[in-house]
Amino acid sequence: MISSILVYGLVNSVILALIAIGFSLTFGISGVANFAYGALYLLSGYLTWMLLKYAGLPLALAVPTTIAIVGLLGFLIYWIILLRVRGIVLSEVIATFALGVGMLEFFRWKGFVTYEFTLPYFKKGMMLIAGVPVDYQRLFIIGIGLALVLFLYFFTHHTRIGWSFRGIAQNERTAISLGIESDWTAALSLAFGSAMAAVAAISILPLGIISINMGYDVLLIAVAVGIVGGLESVPGILVASLILGYAQIITSMYLSAEWMMVVYLAAIVLVLAIKPSGLFGKFKELEERV
Amino acid sequence: MGTTGTKKSLWGRVFLFSLSLALLFGGSVYAAGGSPIVFGVPTALGSIEGRDGWMAIQMAVEEINAKGGVLIGKERRPLKAYSIDTREHEPGIPVHDALTAVEKLVLEKKPHAIVLGAFRSEILMASMDLISKYRLPYICSIAMTPAYQKKIVQQYDKYKYCFRNCLNAIYLVKYLQGVMGFLNEQFGFNKTYLIVQDTLWARATAGGLEKWYEANNWEIAGLDAYPLGASDFSASLIKVRAKKAQVMVPIFDMPQSGILLKQARAMKIPALLCGFISPVAPGDAWEVFEGEVEGMVNFLFEIGPIPVKAVPQSVAFNKNFGKRWGEKARLQLSGHGPGPSYDAVYIMADAITRAGSLDPDAIVSALEKTDMKGVVGRIRFAKDHQVVYGFDPKEAALGIAFQWRRADLRVPVFPEMVAEGKMQLPPYMK
Repeated sequence: MISSILVYGLVNSVILALIAIGFSLTFGISGVANFAYGALYLLSGYLTWMLLKYAGLPLALAVPTTIAIVGLLGFLIYWIILLRVRGIVLSEVIATFALGVGMLEFFRWKGFVTYEFTLPYFKKGMMLIAGVPVDYQRLFIIGIGLALVLFLYFFTHHTRIGWSFRGIAQNERTAISLGIESDWTAALSLAFGSAMAAVAAISILPLGIISINMGYDVLLIAVAVGIVGGLESVPGILVASLILGYAQIITSMYLSAEWMMVVYLAAIVLVLAIKPSGLFGKFKELEERV
Repeated sequence: MGTTGTKKSLWGRVFLFSLSLALLFGGSVYAAGGSPIVFGVPTALGSIEGRDGWMAIQMAVEEINAKGGVLIGKERRPLKAYSIDTREHEPGIPVHDALTAVEKLVLEKKPHAIVLGAFRSEILMASMDLISKYRLPYICSIAMTPAYQKKIVQQYDKYKYCFRNCLNAIYLVKYLQGVMGFLNEQFGFNKTYLIVQDTLWARATAGGLEKWYEANNWEIAGLDAYPLGASDFSASLIKVRAKKAQVMVPIFDMPQSGILLKQARAMKIPALLCGFISPVAPGDAWEVFEGEVEGMVNFLFEIGPIPVKAVPQSVAFNKNFGKRWGEKARLQLSGHGPGPSYDAVYIMADAITRAGSLDPDAIVSALEKTDMKGVVGRIRFAKDHQVVYGFDPKEAALGIAFQWRRADLRVPVFPEMVAEGKMQLPPYMK
């Protein structure tokens, strides 16, 4: 049982990290809490399904097409909607949340509610790790999660756009004074965050079924992981994912699967009560010390 | 200008006159037979069970109207059905919202009776007072909790309007017990693991099965309940494998549950899946789940979606459903609800005819005396207003267990009286 907890805890942690990292990236750079994130995740799933089923594209082509389209959509969300309310936090939340609910309910209205919406495994089969059966898709998820973190590190430390991301994230006014275009960078952060939602969806959804309520669940997961780790901190997201991922698996193994969702909610309440900025967050750190 | 205006006015009058004539003497289905008898259908139209049930009801209504409508005394009156989507199958929909939808339908469409009804047992139980308040004869064809019958028996005068013609959890347990006994005899299996959804009917089914397992010396390796919407079952599958369970009994009607099968196959769990996974019942499940359904023994709560030769009405229903809604819809028929929903229209229409009026109490009395042959077999209500299910369709209504063999082959394997093949171990267990 211990080896099962170790292996599946890791898989679960990577799944949480994949889900939360796009949300965190956008928030960390632009300060926008993209509450349409769950809907973008779900849209990616349906879009891939349609490209496979109706357009007859191979998976290798459907995947980059979906990522590109959803990334572009994120970019447009900023320029069309968020640009007008940028800086008014409540309006940003309301605008993105309304957009997200609108997208999710649109899918419900169009009948995307049955069991037939599933994505194929990248590769069927399984292998034993320390005597624990793990299907290849979960191994792919671990690989993709690691690759994404490495990519993010490389991108933010060795490219001009990455530098501008970090500049805006550290101090927007100083960054602007150095010639970094704030809105352009924020729009790109929305695009990157949305594209990451697509990467997460395409990797994780083959394990389950694409259903509307998942859009809401994904948002809850992203927010929960962000709150525990620190919304704007990528290392915080990784640590929080490990904590929550293992806590969930231990809960399901020793209590019951129905308690898994409670782990998120308990973690949110606990962290907000003890350290509102999250484990690695800095936004309210000074206020907390005072 | 003036002339054109006059011409327009003249043509306008001619049009209005023609329209009036058409409305007065035209071919309205209601014109010849008086005002229609209205059936309300408040259910979860987004679920496959609700969707198919509603389609089956429309089919039955069309058939009855094509024969002239429902006979009341000496007059034939047309039938009309109105649906409303309660969305109760979705996670997070409050009971109150679903009840509001039911009451909206009752107040706006003023139905004489309700058919199909609640999808979720929780909504069914909460609807009973509403049904009683409006004195509406009500036949439930999806929700399955046995608590419904208990309440009817306990407060008959208040809840006498409530009936159910689909399988309930008690009968499902009986069928499951039969299959488990067969698996024990045939393959020597005696170790099981239950994975169920956290809803009233599924919990009740699991509870009933647990008692039977204990009484018959089976070892229960575990029981896990998953909330609505859950789609990762790996925690349970790991335990099934670790504890070497031979039979895995899933009991689910949520759309996400189909993936349990895919996950079990991906993790190569060496246990026979035998229970109810709603998305695995339709004929297109083989394609949807990429052949991973092979070998699974799934229940069809009521026959019809799979025709059973011993019940000709089930064969006719299946064929006619395909003609009315297309081959794809026929292939996608869910394993619970369509047959009883279709029958419910005929049961209610028959009761109205025998009652000779639309008086709710008279209809209830007539419903209690129902004895007819329908899609699901012989239909009779017990004293608790539940249709009796059994193993012989000449004596009772029928549910079956079938096994997936090939892309186009679902073989009824239980009850033995109507079985069209023998249960086999799936390739991964041989």
